[in-house]
Amino acid sequence: MRKVVLTILSLIMVASFVLIGCASTAADTPAAAAESTTAEEAAPVAEEAAMEEAAPAMVDYPRAETLYTMGKQWGPATSWNPLQQGSYAMGTIGLCYETLFLYNPLTDEYIPWIADSGDWVDDTTYQLKIKEGVTFSDGEALTADDVIFTLEMGKNFQSVYYSELWAWLDSVEKVDDYTITMMFTNPLYQEWANYLYSIAILPQHLWEGLTEEEAVVGANQPPVGSGPYMYESADEAKVAWVRNDSWWGIKGLGLEVAPKYIVDINNISNNAALGMVLQGQVDLDNNYLPGIASVINGGYGITTYYPDEPYMLSANTAWLVMNLTKAPMDDAAFRRAVSFAIKVEDIVSKDYGNIVVPANSTGLLPIWDQFVDQDVVDELGFSYDPDEAKAILAAAGYKDIDGDGFVEAPDGSTIALEIGCPNGWSDWMVAIQIISQNLKEVGINVEPVYPDYSALTAGLYGGDFDMVINNDAQMSNTVWSYYHFIFYHPIKEQMISGTGNYGRYENQEVFDLVDQLDATPITDVEGMKAIISQIQTIQLTDVPMIPLWYNGVWAQTDNTYWTNWPSSAEGAPKYVPATWNGYWNMGAVLMLTELEPVAAE
Amino acid sequence: MRRYFLRKILIYLLTFFVAVTIDWMIPRFMPGDPVMNMLSKAGSMHAEAQEVMYGYLTSSFGLDLPVWQQYVNFWKALFHGDLGISILQFPKPVIDVIKSALPYDLLLLIPSILLSYYAGNKFGAYAARSKRMDNTLLPIGYILTATPYMWLGILLGWVFAIILNIFPISGAYSYALKPALSWTFIKSVLEHWFLPFMSLFIVQFGGWAIGMRNMIIYELEADYAHYLEALGAPRKLIRRYAYNNAQLPQLSGLALKLGVIVAGAMSTEIVFSYPGIGYLILMAIQNSDYYLLQGCFLFIIIGVLLANFIIDIVFVLVDPRTRLGMQGGAS
Amino acid sequence: MSEPKKKNEFLYFAMRNGKLKVGAVIVFIFVLIAIFGPKFARYPLNEFVAGGPNPPSADFYMGTTAYGQDVYAQFVYGLGTTFIVGIIGGGLATLLGMLVGFVGGYKGGWVDEVLNIITNIILVIPTFALLLIMVAYLKLRGVLIESIFIGLTSWPWAARAIRAQTFSLANREFVDLAKLSGMKTMKILFREIAPNMMSYLFMTFILQFGGAILTAATLDFIGLGPTQGVSLGLMMNWATNGSALLLGYWWWFVPPGIAITAVVGALYIMNVGLDEVFNPKLREM
Repeated sequence: MRKVVLTILSLIMVASFVLIGCASTAADTPAAAAESTTAEEAAPVAEEAAMEEAAPAMVDYPRAETLYTMGKQWGPATSWNPLQQGSYAMGTIGLCYETLFLYNPLTDEYIPWIADSGDWVDDTTYQLKIKEGVTFSDGEALTADDVIFTLEMGKNFQSVYYSELWAWLDSVEKVDDYTITMMFTNPLYQEWANYLYSIAILPQHLWEGLTEEEAVVGANQPPVGSGPYMYESADEAKVAWVRNDSWWGIKGLGLEVAPKYIVDINNISNNAALGMVLQGQVDLDNNYLPGIASVINGGYGITTYYPDEPYMLSANTAWLVMNLTKAPMDDAAFRRAVSFAIKVEDIVSKDYGNIVVPANSTGLLPIWDQFVDQDVVDELGFSYDPDEAKAILAAAGYKDIDGDGFVEAPDGSTIALEIGCPNGWSDWMVAIQIISQNLKEVGINVEPVYPDYSALTAGLYGGDFDMVINNDAQMSNTVWSYYHFIFYHPIKEQMISGTGNYGRYENQEVFDLVDQLDATPITDVEGMKAIISQIQTIQLTDVPMIPLWYNGVWAQTDNTYWTNWPSSAEGAPKYVPATWNGYWNMGAVLMLTELEPVAAE
Repeated sequence: MRRYFLRKILIYLLTFFVAVTIDWMIPRFMPGDPVMNMLSKAGSMHAEAQEVMYGYLTSSFGLDLPVWQQYVNFWKALFHGDLGISILQFPKPVIDVIKSALPYDLLLLIPSILLSYYAGNKFGAYAARSKRMDNTLLPIGYILTATPYMWLGILLGWVFAIILNIFPISGAYSYALKPALSWTFIKSVLEHWFLPFMSLFIVQFGGWAIGMRNMIIYELEADYAHYLEALGAPRKLIRRYAYNNAQLPQLSGLALKLGVIVAGAMSTEIVFSYPGIGYLILMAIQNSDYYLLQGCFLFIIIGVLLANFIIDIVFVLVDPRTRLGMQGGAS
Repeated sequence: MSEPKKKNEFLYFAMRNGKLKVGAVIVFIFVLIAIFGPKFARYPLNEFVAGGPNPPSADFYMGTTAYGQDVYAQFVYGLGTTFIVGIIGGGLATLLGMLVGFVGGYKGGWVDEVLNIITNIILVIPTFALLLIMVAYLKLRGVLIESIFIGLTSWPWAARAIRAQTFSLANREFVDLAKLSGMKTMKILFREIAPNMMSYLFMTFILQFGGAILTAATLDFIGLGPTQGVSLGLMMNWATNGSALLLGYWWWFVPPGIAITAVVGALYIMNVGLDEVFNPKLREM
């Protein structure tokens, strides 16, 4: 018996090791071989394999040379396709593929990257000059042709995320190898500025000839971009990038990225993630970690952007989204009463331990402070005031008729609402418990519910919900994107993700104002303010969504192996330290050029 | 013998058929729209482009056939090893996703089941020897077997990974390594394997120890034991008989317990982010990845059926009565 | 042997059986806590009464969660939920097991054959995975639904065991006598057979009770438990999501696990004790 057991055991162990150990070679090589069409691409893969065999006992990603990150991947990386906005592997845009400009929201600066300069030569013509000497990692030069090819992909393929650009872009013309002219029919300056730092330039010589489906749905593995990092490896638990030592930016920008490798680890449970941070296994962690405030300055060498509360920068606004197609949420007075009843301070202190800050009545992120019309806020803004909430309810005819402690609608019908957030999102679950308690205190019967994520979002997009917490709009270069989200139009049957206006607020006047804002030049700050002020008056009168707090750019940085992290301290780099999609090109890639290794072994 | 196995195989085939049918139903009744979920993770995308994408993706999962045909196609695809495409790891086929998770389950489950069975039985037999041993050591067994796997797992993780810092807290191997057949890699795999293995081992060990102890006591009070005792047989011999006889119910207990053990392995994998099928199931449920869920369920069924079948065979090998009984034609 | 005497005899041995006493006392204490505990709660369940995490003190008997909720309140209400899941889930599983086991064991023939096949199928199908899927279908879940699902998936081994017992009883003289006197099948089952295996049924129920508690705890912990209310498993889930142990809030994470272990462990010990009481041969030990 004992012998049999031992034999079986050892056989199983050996078999499993072989299966696990060979997984990489089996998974990586065919994909690489199938995807790569040119000889240049196949070569590095073969070299890599040879190196692996030569030095089997070495650690692949030495601690001192590697930047370990976590927080972006919610599952194994499966795509390196920069057209799959949001689902591409950590760093695909930013580390591997690059954009024309970077935008740094902290300084409100557009930093020419691939572009050398870009100017509106007249109201409808934009002229772009790109740098000479930009190359893709396979050695091919990046020229005007690649930029035009990338933009025109949106014209040729409907399913490319920037295809709607061509509704107001007329043509793109090559002046010479490094100069391009764009002619617009109806220039939407704000949106265009957004595209300038979000569209990644693709290599024409590799993407030409792909069908729409191949281009948009394909995994694009291994990716070939112009950025400072190249694809190294990927498995079930991580994605690894290796520095491109012949990156054009070393000469072209005079910049060098410090880490030789960047390894991004897939998200794991809160508990395990915090454990890894405490063990010093993650250099930059972009997860929300409950209780992190007690760890900072706790002797673990963990720092955050601000040394004190709120510790984190603000990334997006968490709203209370209400379904305006349902009574009583269709009544502006009711919504206004709700806005006065919620004690956001409790959410901030008890739920988040003060790592977030309460939102302004307009919900505009701190980076957009200059666009808050303080006069409008003073007149129409709201803050926690349960008596005011009760007064508004009473004035609008909401009374407790049956004496159960909860108000009934003016027509006498009972009000019993649900407020939802995805099950397992612990911070939001606590937040809606607090909101539910607050609303019950003023007589509004709202119960917290925690459906699973997919059920919740299905209800949200389809318009089958009462109240839901949402934060789908990230920080960006323009307030327009924020108002575009709140007042998304036209209203459709399915308001699919990221579009916004899930509560289905209808008001043509404000819709027009948002469109007008889009068409305002980004340099015309006064013009923008004038429009935004009008929008805010409507926003605060009708309260289509209630801004609650600003979710942070969760970023725990470990100073054991790398220092000089972005922070509010004087002289420290001022970039947003986030690995999330869309953040590398908002300046985070510059963070890599500022990092300093602590000590070589 | 033949009849016995024919009967068993018939039941297994029937079970497989029922289970696969349930499995087939999984994606068709789940709430939520997986493609929408996929897109919702894509973040701020213009609605027009999103609608086109939506069309693309739904067609690639193709659910527009009549139901009976879908069912027949499902069986056909099954025999070709085609379990569809994972939504979570789009566009990776489900079978590939499961293939890379399966070794971790084997690594975790088989050693923990066999070792805990072996050690637990020995310990239980040992404890049944004297009243003092029984009363002092047995409560430990009860406490162990009543401990929720994940709770123990988290405690172990806290003590050994955070406080003592000798074992890693998550993953299957070091994040600094690429899979390779090297000693560094194997060592890393073992380090990451240890804590999840221990969580499973400890709880199961308690169960087997108690089971064996109870069985031995039953056996020692059986007529044959008293008879042997009266004949003046050495206690050691009686105990050996009792132990051998007690192994049979323990073995059928193993078959019964497989489902619970699988559940335990799932929660343990979740605690340690150990990338086996249990962890995949959780990810699949959270991301409405019906097809992956379907595949995982299928593999668990196949695994449990196989294990049951093996136990049946071992049973016949170990127990001469079963063999005799079968020759007689009774079941 | 007349009935009253037999009962007294059991009681006599029960009182003398240390395992049964210890197990019963532990379970009883926890039942008392679940029933009367809420009366002593100083703070309402899940309300944010403190500013943040507090260790146990005179104010907060068991400390507070990271969000400032009273752990004591969660614990006593959660314990109640846990017992409810045990009673409903374990009870349903035992009832279903009895039904299938009685009918199969007593009727025999093709009825038995069919029931046996069904039992075997469900026995082999990994029910926990099935449970996960069933649970994932529901947008909102309550404790009752959870208990029912657990009951529906955990009856087969009880059915198998009860069938074997019934089978051996079905051919006894007193059953034959009842058959001859023209009693209906159901009546025979519940008047003649069931009482004769009461001890066995009770022990089955105890094991199912403990099993249901553990299953529910696992479900809750994974995040597929009730979407409303509180239970010990949910407490563990919340505490783990809040990284309670790592941040040093052991009073939030440890008690629910200890309570589950203690209750289930005590039930198992009770079971062995009962076995010794009902089975004279085991008493000598």
